[in-house]
Amino acid sequence: MLGGIIGPVVTVLLAVVLPALAAGVLRALVRTSLLLTLPIAISALVVNLFFFPGGHQVLLRLGPITATAEGLEFALEILVRIMAISGAITLFYLATRPQDLVVDLERRGVSARVAFVANASVQTVPAMVERAQQIAAAQRARGLDTEGSLGRRVRGVVPIVGPVILGSIAEVEERALALEARGFTRPGRRTLLWWPPDSTWERVARWGLLLALLGLVGARIAGQLG
Amino acid sequence: MLTLDEVSYRYAGATRTSLRGVSLTLRDGEVLGVVGRSEAGKSTLCLVASGLAPRTLGGTLSGRVLIDGADVVARAMHEMASDVAIGFQNPGTQLSGVATTVYEEVAFGPMNLGIARGEVLRRTESSIDALAIRALVDRDPDRLSGGQQQLVAIAGLLALAPRHLILDEPTAQLDPAGTRLVSDAIRRLAARGASILIVEQKVDLLAGVCDRVLALDEGRLTLEGPSETVLADPALHALGVAEPSPVRLRRLASEAGVSARAIELALGRVATEAPGG
Amino acid sequence: MVDLLLESLVHVYREGNVRAVDGVDLIIGAGERVAIIGQNGSGKSTLVRHLNGLLRPTSGRVLHDGVDAAMSTVAQLARSVGLVFQDPDRQIFAGSVRAEVEYGPRNLGIRGEELRSAVDAALEAVGLESEAKTNPYDLGASRRKLLALASVLAMRTPVLILDEPTTGQDERGVQRVRSVIQEAHTQGRTVIVISHDMRFVAEGFERVVVMRSGHIILDGQPEMVFRQDAWDQLASTFLEPPLSAVIGDRLGLGSTPTDGMLIRALVSRG
Repeated sequence: MLGGIIGPVVTVLLAVVLPALAAGVLRALVRTSLLLTLPIAISALVVNLFFFPGGHQVLLRLGPITATAEGLEFALEILVRIMAISGAITLFYLATRPQDLVVDLERRGVSARVAFVANASVQTVPAMVERAQQIAAAQRARGLDTEGSLGRRVRGVVPIVGPVILGSIAEVEERALALEARGFTRPGRRTLLWWPPDSTWERVARWGLLLALLGLVGARIAGQLG
Repeated sequence: MLTLDEVSYRYAGATRTSLRGVSLTLRDGEVLGVVGRSEAGKSTLCLVASGLAPRTLGGTLSGRVLIDGADVVARAMHEMASDVAIGFQNPGTQLSGVATTVYEEVAFGPMNLGIARGEVLRRTESSIDALAIRALVDRDPDRLSGGQQQLVAIAGLLALAPRHLILDEPTAQLDPAGTRLVSDAIRRLAARGASILIVEQKVDLLAGVCDRVLALDEGRLTLEGPSETVLADPALHALGVAEPSPVRLRRLASEAGVSARAIELALGRVATEAPGG
Repeated sequence: MVDLLLESLVHVYREGNVRAVDGVDLIIGAGERVAIIGQNGSGKSTLVRHLNGLLRPTSGRVLHDGVDAAMSTVAQLARSVGLVFQDPDRQIFAGSVRAEVEYGPRNLGIRGEELRSAVDAALEAVGLESEAKTNPYDLGASRRKLLALASVLAMRTPVLILDEPTTGQDERGVQRVRSVIQEAHTQGRTVIVISHDMRFVAEGFERVVVMRSGHIILDGQPEMVFRQDAWDQLASTFLEPPLSAVIGDRLGLGSTPTDGMLIRALVSRG
């Protein structure tokens, strides 16, 4: 029965679990992937276990519905595939520093400004939240009622949202001036002090995997693989 | 040498003129202080001298801004960086926001200019030493105190290797510890021959570091001269500028009919004992 | 008139487990004029935000005339305690100076003639009476700060708290703040100011409270707090005494934290 899923399981072990172990993120990976896939996994398991068409070998009978061995096999196959996908995505997210990614993109020709926006955007939300909190505090100190009726609280939106927006725009202007003053708008590439190292092995592995992927897709299309 | 020749400036969409016929010269190695009440045009002066007005801000400029006698009107903002660099009063908004360490923050400017890597590193190192922030190099700029952030910002400007540095109220938003950090750093830069135009409300700070001071009132230059002379000028009061402490104490002493000599002596000793003065 | 009592006040910010206020006992009587000084992070701002309920104690109590402030909402406490924040741009939202100043008293239910006179008086106190129709962002940063001050003054609260009112102000602005504080004091209001301008503090306040790491380390008249034997304590919270105090000490004139005292001491020495 397990024959069908040995391949996928081995793939997941080699492509996801081992690298995660090497990167020291295995625990976080398991936690995050499980979190991500739990809803899908449960529904896939239940649906296929009990309602797989062509299921004969009965494992369990619960009133009108039956769990079949073929259903279980199919469900497990699906589960492993889901884990492969979510595991790979989570691995990428956990093992890559956003900074490294952005710098590497810039090194390969992505505009410095795009790289800058990618990096700087992360900070805007917490900064705005903090600004909104300070503004809310100042308005509450002037009698804005945030603990009263809904109507009152709705009326409190303008005195908070207004300064948040105005202040954020004003801050953007200040930041833009400072950036301009530091040569940010100079056209062309900027000098990078460092970038993530790219060894020959990594390059070989990248190209190798890419070719393997193309090969597999091709084989699938040609009907060589089931 | 940075020269403003009969410069007038009006912000985009504004009805009044913020600078009227201002002429000044900032020589290499000189520290020039600018005083005046709020809205007198001091910040506008800084923006015009740095080139941000009108390049980035728009607005109408008449008169000329010259570097070593050459009009800079045709230069783009990034071409101004090696001549004039400008710092502002808010320590946080001057940070690039993309540097995870102080080192990277200081290097941001030269990196933008596309200078060779070795030169970028050399300038970064030299700015870090000039501002004495070696101990901060691995820290996250966002987690520093206001005063420390201001030092990092100024180091970042210095790394551009500008001929002239413009500082618009660098200590306005800092607490006494931060003010002390920044004013000591500025003093050190001045002692090394930096050319600085500095706007400040804290006249005591200016008294300790400026060669010359000029006063702005409603966009016009009203006083100009050696710092001791201008800062002791009684006309400052009408211009909304505070007197430096020694000047104030001397005046109060003479009004009370007491000799200011004892105060002068004590001030002299205070100045030599406490590096801040 | 409101007496303020902070009893064994502790405030811990959950993020980072910071004990911003670490066991403070403080009584401020009605009508007192108090300055609170100390380095950034010493707990000054955290402390005063307990007085109008913006922050609630982790442990300890805040009492207004014997009544626990925990019983009241911030909006209710805003009737008796006005707090002016340091950054006016994190508050101003109205299209005109007048509308901005009206906001606070309106929230307190003040209308009609009473509202108009409260707003007029506040605008006059800060020197913005001729700018009533101006858009706040057409005023410079210095005058916007005065606008924020006026907007709380108009609420006519018996207690007035100002957080760094002179930071970033020009000389004219500082004078205005001085006169506003003087006027409020004359009216019998309790005035509490956080400042790091030592001369401003020494010259304008009868009582100075010094904080470090969430504790009060000194509490008394300027003559006591800025006397030479307290300088080490001041240094521990990154503060320096006013210049007059230093000069007076150098000249052996005793404790002279203000210019006036220094000059008077010189005069009497002959």
